[in-house]
Amino acid sequence: MALSVTVTTSTDTATINLIGELDAASAPAFHDTIEQAAAAGVTHVVIQAHELTYMASAGLRSLVFARQKMGDEVRITVAGPSAPVARTIRQAGFDRSVTLVDE
Amino acid sequence: MNALRIPAALTSLEDVAHFCQSLAERAGLSTDAAYRLRLATDELATNVVMHGYRGGEGELRLAGGMDEDTVWIRLEDDAPPFDPGAGCRPPQPDVPLAQRGIGGLGIHLALTSLDDFSHRYTDGHNSCTLVIRRHRPRRRPE
Repeated sequence: MALSVTVTTSTDTATINLIGELDAASAPAFHDTIEQAAAAGVTHVVIQAHELTYMASAGLRSLVFARQKMGDEVRITVAGPSAPVARTIRQAGFDRSVTLVDE
Repeated sequence: MNALRIPAALTSLEDVAHFCQSLAERAGLSTDAAYRLRLATDELATNVVMHGYRGGEGELRLAGGMDEDTVWIRLEDDAPPFDPGAGCRPPQPDVPLAQRGIGGLGIHLALTSLDDFSHRYTDGHNSCTLVIRRHRPRRRPE
């Protein structure tokens, strides 16, 4: 299943909506939206992950890329990840650098 | 037993996912165990595509099966010898995300998702065996 990525930007927040599966083949599309969010100069990036059914390490690399691109003053939130997606983020220790909002 | 031969390319990852899902369904794996099997196979296949064949042409061969206790997938390639289990470093949670090295993450995820893993290199082929237990070990009665 493919990945659908959309991004909406307000004054200070970029919201990236991920639907489907994030693997090495689909991660470049996610990368592009991170570039857009970084270029927009927002202070908060919200990654809506409610409908993200799968995430491989390529998705983690995208989070590292987001952090490197935007610096520590930008807050990055992953909202509503499924249990296995949240587990993957925690397993890599990334929950210390991005805010996980489980539901 | 089930088998699949595919070109070593990122566009093949969808076939890898279907292969894992169909095997997991036949084995009656839980959603969690099925996810772990797919994640591990996907990560190791991705690693062969990106690093094993270094973006060049090659082939991936998958075979899968099950016995009473386990479901297994054997992943074969013809890339230079590489044992994913050797030198796999755990992530460094104390290092800020922006300063992390990003190598080895996929292999770490794969190996920690599995119940058992082995690698051998013979006759010019890497052969990895990925194993998931079909049932969680039951607790012994007190």
